[in-house]
Amino acid sequence: MNSLPTPSRPPLRSVLLRSRKHTILGFDPQKLIKYFFGSNASVAIIVLVLIMVFLLREGIDFLPTYQRELQTYRRAGLEFCDIIDQPLQKNQTLSSSLRQALSASLETLSKTARDRRDAAFLLKRQVEDKSARPRESLAQALEKAPQDPGQIDVLRRELGAATAAAVKAVDYPELFTQAEREQLEREFAALTPEVTDLPPMLQTLVEDFNVKDREAKTKFADLVTAQEEFEEAAEPLQEVLDELKAKALETKEKAVEFEVLETNRQRLLEAAATESDPKEKASLTKEAEESVAETVNLEESIKEITGRTAELREQVEKYAVVIEKAAADLPKDAGTGAARKLVNDVREGIPVHAREMRAAAAKLEDWHWDKPVSIFSVMGAFFFGTQWITNSSWQDFFGFVPLLTGSLVIAAIAILIATPVSVVAAIYTNQFASEREKELIKPVIEFIQAIPSVVLGFIGISLVGNLIKDVSEWSWLQWVPGFPIQERLNMFNAGCLLAFMAVPTMFSLSEDALNNVPRAYIDASDALGATKLQTVFRVIVPAGISGILSAILLGLGRVVGETMVVLLVAGNRIAIPDFSAGPGVIFQPAHTLTGIIAQELGEVSRGSSHWQALFMVGIVLFAISLLVNWCARAVARRFEPHKA
Amino acid sequence: MSADFTAQSTPPPVVQVRDMDFSYGASKALFDINLKVQYHRVTALIGPSGCGKSTLLRCINRMNDRVLSARVTKGEVLVKGKNIYDADVDLTQLRKQVGMVFQKSNPFPKSIYENVAYGLRIHGEKNKSVLDEAVERSLTHAALWEELKDRLHANALALSGGQQQRLCIARAIATVPDVLLMDEPCSALDPISTLKIEELMHQLAKEFTVVIVTHNMQQAVRVSDYTAFLHLGKLVEFAPTEELFTNPREKLTEAYLRGTFS
Repeated sequence: MNSLPTPSRPPLRSVLLRSRKHTILGFDPQKLIKYFFGSNASVAIIVLVLIMVFLLREGIDFLPTYQRELQTYRRAGLEFCDIIDQPLQKNQTLSSSLRQALSASLETLSKTARDRRDAAFLLKRQVEDKSARPRESLAQALEKAPQDPGQIDVLRRELGAATAAAVKAVDYPELFTQAEREQLEREFAALTPEVTDLPPMLQTLVEDFNVKDREAKTKFADLVTAQEEFEEAAEPLQEVLDELKAKALETKEKAVEFEVLETNRQRLLEAAATESDPKEKASLTKEAEESVAETVNLEESIKEITGRTAELREQVEKYAVVIEKAAADLPKDAGTGAARKLVNDVREGIPVHAREMRAAAAKLEDWHWDKPVSIFSVMGAFFFGTQWITNSSWQDFFGFVPLLTGSLVIAAIAILIATPVSVVAAIYTNQFASEREKELIKPVIEFIQAIPSVVLGFIGISLVGNLIKDVSEWSWLQWVPGFPIQERLNMFNAGCLLAFMAVPTMFSLSEDALNNVPRAYIDASDALGATKLQTVFRVIVPAGISGILSAILLGLGRVVGETMVVLLVAGNRIAIPDFSAGPGVIFQPAHTLTGIIAQELGEVSRGSSHWQALFMVGIVLFAISLLVNWCARAVARRFEPHKA
Repeated sequence: MSADFTAQSTPPPVVQVRDMDFSYGASKALFDINLKVQYHRVTALIGPSGCGKSTLLRCINRMNDRVLSARVTKGEVLVKGKNIYDADVDLTQLRKQVGMVFQKSNPFPKSIYENVAYGLRIHGEKNKSVLDEAVERSLTHAALWEELKDRLHANALALSGGQQQRLCIARAIATVPDVLLMDEPCSALDPISTLKIEELMHQLAKEFTVVIVTHNMQQAVRVSDYTAFLHLGKLVEFAPTEELFTNPREKLTEAYLRGTFS
């Protein structure tokens, strides 16, 4: 041991001094590498900050812009007209329900007759279509000036054969008796280009229907009158309102024009003030002078409108009285089935509508044209506004609620579907699957992420939409709320596809969470005699619950931010879904926060209020995503069992 | 069995390993093991690392079943006279009879109460008063009741390491097993906690039969009545502890005890 030579030590001074051998531009290369890596990491943070700054810069001006617009809306008197006009929209809805009820009622008597008539006409057209070519040739031959009897005969025989074959080939529905069928066949076989009258059988069928229809109209006479009364009731009121609206719109246009020219003038004057070249300065000043618009005397215009308040109120009162009378005239429990329900709805709806109209009329008195629009009411109009109306000749409204509801309902559907699927799949894969199954399941589910969302959109439009619609028409599924559905493209469809898209994220993260449950917990449970299922549900899932919850939240983040699928599949109707339909609401179309940006941002002029409104939507979307992600992290921390 | 009875004049062993070979796939881990564990005695398994003492312990409650290729290739393991590797053995019931405590404490991330009650719950016990009573009894046995009775619903992971290990013991004895297997229960604990658990083992032996794997020979001397020495998968010597440590029959045992190899 002692024989080993001790290596000579360097002198102390040189050990402690920093080596100065390798420096690049005066920097230690180690430090340079560190800075390089650090700067790459910070790029992400910088980009995120830039995105926020950019969104805010474009979007934050929205509130003052919208405030100005709403101010004009009020001062020009548009708001005044809307006080009456908005509730009056209800008239259309009620009226259309009534029309539906009426036609449904009439159908109870005339449906068979109409079906027989329509079926006979359809058969006739089918027969004619099948023998179209010889028929056409014969018609041409007959029209020729010198007729060729020989050729006509040949063509007649050909047509006869073709018609006979066609008559045999078409399907006769059950609506006709054997005798009627034979008669139809005979009459169809006799169809030649010279016959212009309807075949006698068809004439009878048409007459049958007319008789039935008249009968039905007599039977439901009170419903017919009520419907007509109701429809006519709004006309005088609408006339007065239309006059006022025209006036208001005119004022608004003038005001807007004035504002544009005035802004322009200010800008020119500013430019002139800073311009040093006297020639240029003079031309700018001249231009500014020319830009003067006729000042709009808002007060005078508004007086023309508010001056007719009394007349308007009177009309509203008259209208309310008339419709209430119509409601009283409506037969109670008229018609059958769907019609009865519609009529009853209208009966109950009309008094409510009348009350709303009267309330609106009372509000007219409290309205002042020069009441300022506060910034809080503008925020309210954006965040709680129920209308998103753009490019309107009347007034644009940027109300956020319809879009938010659409996004939230779709996200809720997607999460409700995706959560059980992905969590159960994760539990199976992690705990029960054999190695070979794992090798199959995991890549397949993760592959879903690679499907471009636009392709999923195709599938949604062509496949899922039709599938849902077809299924909704199965008679034994009619107990499902909302069935049969009206629209192929709806929130449920979008929700299904988004669920499919969220599954990979949620599956992988849940699986990781289960995988991270310490082996020791499973050992302990096994050693106590627990079965596999008991271990999974009493130990592994509870221990991994924080990870699973955070997986669900991150899936939610993915779903809320997804654009392409919802744009293609959600139906894009900008209206708050009708929640009175109960759970069936999910089969209605809607628009979303993401979809509206993608759809409209390309079409609006830069810097307009619409452009700014879309940026506001972007800001809110960004905030929602941040919130969801933050929640996911918070949940992961909150439920994490503290390490021993 | 009856022949054994008369010949030994001692009560029948609770665990009896007979001519057992055990292998992980192609590699054989245990060779021709014969071992009898007596009721209410502490039996220690000692031996150098990798000698198969933990594997032997895990054969007694079939914890090795989870390793896919692991098999008992010869012989049998009788618990209360029944070969536990027979096809008709219910694993759940076996593990209720043979509890286990692991090297590293592993309480569930649940409350103290739920940890102790877990074994009973999975065996279908729902009656609250039965559970309450079992929790109190088990915690008392594990010398934890006085410390913890006021915070039964606190998270078990908030306890100290020694408390956690004693909680694991309480959890294992809550189902009143006949045999309690302990796989180096003190190796991750500080000396004071170790002392507490060693004291506990004497108490536990009054109610249960304990089989303990330890690499600490002093511990084997302190806690056990019988000791088995394993080397390279073979049971070299099995004797009352005092006899084995003071007067080993085998050269190999003597060499190990002297510390010539480890």
